[in-house]
Amino acid sequence: MIPVSLVVLTSLLYFGVLFGVAFYADRQRKLGRSIIDNPAVYSLSLAVYCTSWTFYGSVGRAATSGIDFLTIYLGPTLIAFSWWFLLRKIVRVSKEQNVASIADFISSRYGKSAALGAIVTIFAVLGIMPYIALQLKAVAHTFDLLVYPFATTGTTHVLPKFDLHFDSALVVAMILGLFGVLFGARHLDASERHEGLVAAIALESVVKIVAFVAAGIFVTYGLFDGFGNIFSEFLTRFPEREHLLRLGSTENSYAHWMSMTIISMMAVMFLPRQFHIMVIENCREEHIRSAMWRFPAYMLLINLFVIPIALGGLLLNHGSTFNADFFVITLPLQHGQPWLAMLVFIGGFSASAGMVMVSSVALSTMILNHILIPVILKVHTKEHNLSRLLINLKRLGIIAVIFLGYLYYRLLGESAALVNIGLISFVAATQFAPAIIGGLYWRQATRLGATIGLILGFIVWFYTLLIPTFVDSGWMSTLIVEQGLWGLTILKPTELFGLSGFGLWTHSLFWTMFVNLGSYLAVSLFTKPCAAELEQIRNFVDVYNPVPITTERTRITRAPTVIEFVDLMAKFIGEKQAHASISTYLGDSEINEKGSLSEDELPKLKRFTELTLAGSVGAAPARIIIDKYLSARGSHMEDVFDLFGSVNISRTASREQLGVLYEAAHTVASGNDLQSILDEILKIFTDQFKFDLCVIRILDEERQTLTVRSQRGMTSEHFGESERDLTADTFIGETYLTNKTSVVNDSDFISKPKTAVIIHREKILSFAHAPIAVEGQPIGVISAFSRTAKGIFTSEFVELFTSLASQVGVAWRNAQQTDRLITAREQQRELAIAKDIQLGLLPTKIPDFPGVRLGGLCIPAKEVGGDYYDYLIHEDGRLDLVIADVSGHNVGAALIMAETRTLIRSRSDRFTKPHELLSELNQFFYDDLTRAELFITLFYLQYQAVSREISFASAGHSPTLLWQARNQQCLRLDPEGLIIGVKEDFTYEQESLTLEDGDVLLLYTDGVIEAENDNHELFGEKRLVELLSAKHQLPPQELIDYIVEQVRIFSGRHNFQDDVSLVVMQATLH
Amino acid sequence: MKMENKLPLTDAWVIWFLLGVVMINYPFLHIFNKNVLVFGIPVTILYFFIGWPVSIFVIYLFSIYLGRDSDQDRAQNDPQEGPDEETP
Repeated sequence: MIPVSLVVLTSLLYFGVLFGVAFYADRQRKLGRSIIDNPAVYSLSLAVYCTSWTFYGSVGRAATSGIDFLTIYLGPTLIAFSWWFLLRKIVRVSKEQNVASIADFISSRYGKSAALGAIVTIFAVLGIMPYIALQLKAVAHTFDLLVYPFATTGTTHVLPKFDLHFDSALVVAMILGLFGVLFGARHLDASERHEGLVAAIALESVVKIVAFVAAGIFVTYGLFDGFGNIFSEFLTRFPEREHLLRLGSTENSYAHWMSMTIISMMAVMFLPRQFHIMVIENCREEHIRSAMWRFPAYMLLINLFVIPIALGGLLLNHGSTFNADFFVITLPLQHGQPWLAMLVFIGGFSASAGMVMVSSVALSTMILNHILIPVILKVHTKEHNLSRLLINLKRLGIIAVIFLGYLYYRLLGESAALVNIGLISFVAATQFAPAIIGGLYWRQATRLGATIGLILGFIVWFYTLLIPTFVDSGWMSTLIVEQGLWGLTILKPTELFGLSGFGLWTHSLFWTMFVNLGSYLAVSLFTKPCAAELEQIRNFVDVYNPVPITTERTRITRAPTVIEFVDLMAKFIGEKQAHASISTYLGDSEINEKGSLSEDELPKLKRFTELTLAGSVGAAPARIIIDKYLSARGSHMEDVFDLFGSVNISRTASREQLGVLYEAAHTVASGNDLQSILDEILKIFTDQFKFDLCVIRILDEERQTLTVRSQRGMTSEHFGESERDLTADTFIGETYLTNKTSVVNDSDFISKPKTAVIIHREKILSFAHAPIAVEGQPIGVISAFSRTAKGIFTSEFVELFTSLASQVGVAWRNAQQTDRLITAREQQRELAIAKDIQLGLLPTKIPDFPGVRLGGLCIPAKEVGGDYYDYLIHEDGRLDLVIADVSGHNVGAALIMAETRTLIRSRSDRFTKPHELLSELNQFFYDDLTRAELFITLFYLQYQAVSREISFASAGHSPTLLWQARNQQCLRLDPEGLIIGVKEDFTYEQESLTLEDGDVLLLYTDGVIEAENDNHELFGEKRLVELLSAKHQLPPQELIDYIVEQVRIFSGRHNFQDDVSLVVMQATLH
Repeated sequence: MKMENKLPLTDAWVIWFLLGVVMINYPFLHIFNKNVLVFGIPVTILYFFIGWPVSIFVIYLFSIYLGRDSDQDRAQNDPQEGPDEETP
């Protein structure tokens, strides 16, 4: 026995420590130094799972019914395997949806259903209330054990010095209520997290494991000689109780074992307090990873001594199971360790307090969000500031939950065993599993399926578990259990529909899951999710693969301003919170120059406001608040595609967009002329989207203005037809210059005064310009104007508009290419004509001249060339041979060549000496050639038929080869002479020779000897000399053909890189 | 690379989970459910208190592996990436 005052003092001191830690944690959070943001604290906080039921009840159960208590911890260890997938997904969804509780999670998944939220809340409260009662009872009972070990529980204690009467359970309830209010409901936080609370829970977890393990070590090693000793003594003294250490007995059947495992697997995740600590209070997803093994390790450690304590208790109490639940506290007391008993009391108290604090906060959040707020919203929304009312209701909720638990405890008292109440709550939590797990992975799951599943599950839960418990407590007549409802045996609560032979838990788990899961699946299969659910299915099932937010498909008519949204938030979460939230949000949003949000941003702000409110009041109430607010001010969300006169679901809309792009592409590919393509594109566009005016402007390069090339809609000529200068003063100019689409969704906010005048005059409400670009360079602008609606240019539409602009660009480029092709063809034809003319300038037939045989050939490298050769027969018996090469192969060279021919033909009669003619040519052409940057090489040879003498001069031309029959040798004829066009006055050298029979003269241009093969070798003069030596006897034309063939073989090509010309004169018998 | 890492991870998880379910249920439990003492401790109890830490150790290894995997993810600047089709 320990004095009351000491127990009270120690307890109060411990409370003080908890308050201190909680205050410290909250303070550190405000300073941005979270102390709970680490995996160890997260794992410890999860140990709120181990309540006084674990602390005391496990020992009691081990002593009375055996090792099935282990399932309560083995199940969670097993499910911990799944946390990285299952729990992490729940956490991710909850963070993104600002989920505030398990009821909120379920309601949110099924289309933010207010009804579903309320159902889950009611069931959670019903399922958890007895559990809270159980905790209070444990505290009161252990308090009694410490101070009056032999008194009955529930008595009023007296604090001797102060003569103060008190009920320990009530005092504890009050203090826990205070704690819950202080650390669980300080303000309506946008993110429902309470660092102080979590820190206190983590500390409590440390205290309870230390206390329990200390007691365990004391019993195992202090009172006995270790584990082996306890087991062997037990088996020796109570061999009939050997079944306590085995499975398969009636009480501990395998089916029972399996059911318990499943129930605890679900409970560890879906009890409201577990969900709250695991999901809502989670700081980081990574913490889950280490909690996966830390939390099971904690459970292992705390259970290590359960069996030794239970068996030790039985041994020391002569096999009596009286107060077996409290062996852990009575053993140290009985064996002179009051301080250890005190520590155990504090540990057990921690286990109870943690559970009560978190459960009360979680439940009051659910009650406020899903029961009270919907009612409040119905009755009075006029009040300016609801935030104070809401937070006070939440505080009241916490106290109410705890005191309802207290009431339950006072009413039920001793009647129910501890462990039964705990398991009843566990089975209740299991009912949430299908709706949550199914909702995370099964797209087909619908609201109706979840609702019916939950309702039926809870009805069966109530009938198969609560009714038998009530009967046990004597609250109800035993008739219903013995004979069934209305005397129908198939309705016996413990043998429903004749299912007998199973324990209470297996029976109840089977039937609750059968109706719950069965109706959830069946109803979901036969119903379709509504639009609100579809959106949430994406947010939940596809949380790892988010689809882009599609808010831009909607706009708000008569949209509220940012300030109005802030006021709305402030009404529910308080001004400070509202301002903090909005400033975070606006940090990354675009605000236009007037401080208001753009049309596109407003739906996003609405969504943000809803999410922020959801963090405090839950998803369903948040949606109701926003909807009510908008409808009250006459605003509503509308589908922007209605404006386009098309059907209003997005999928169809995008098909229509594709249709427009397809038609436009089809038009571009039609091959029509540019003008009709542009007109047709605008027609398709305006017809589809009902714009009042669409214009295509293309840059006029000369005048540097954007001129209208096509226009459709709106008769006002001067508006559409007006040209636009390339300045940033107008939106069109700016669009062109910046090569970026500009959009004005509300013409009331136009930054450019010049544009504003026109736009307002024409009553345009919104417009957009997109640059028409070819290979990234803008060449024009396409514009669309609407007189009927604001806000029609959503980002999705702008995308279409930009695509359309690039189609116009393609059309423009195609047209340009066609033009260029036509020009090229025309040039080709002209060149062909030039070629014909040029070839006509060469000798068409080979003249007969006594004593010689002649041959000649010119092959231009391109259509026109610069080579020229000629035979000129004079009346005085002279024959002149000319071969010339004008540099270049272009038209210019061809013209010079023609001029050279004309001059030579007209002057050769007058000049009897070749070198004089060359000088004359040089003088004549000097100016022309210099100007044209061209030059001529030329070889001129004169043959006197009578004397057979040849005289010749060269203007830098390749040497002529002479095959002399007499000495069978080749001679190079290469008199000195500058290229024509280099120096104005130049005297050319002239040489003379006499031909003999069989001599062959070969005149050629450098195209012959400079022909190149693939090894970059030139054909060269040497090869030409060899060919001439070898084939000099061939008739001239054949000799030429032979040489050309050999040059082609050498170069490996049919075509020459340079013009090739050859003239051969063979002296024959005189 | 990533797929190669992730798929065996999910598979391994499913296998271990199923193995765990089998090991703490009938008929597997029946093997150890005997009135035999090992080191003075009933074999049923011993089975649980050895199997339990072993399974915790497996989860520990699993979490280490996950840590490495998610570090790789982070290195690839792909924090959004998550397991796609894992079902419990």
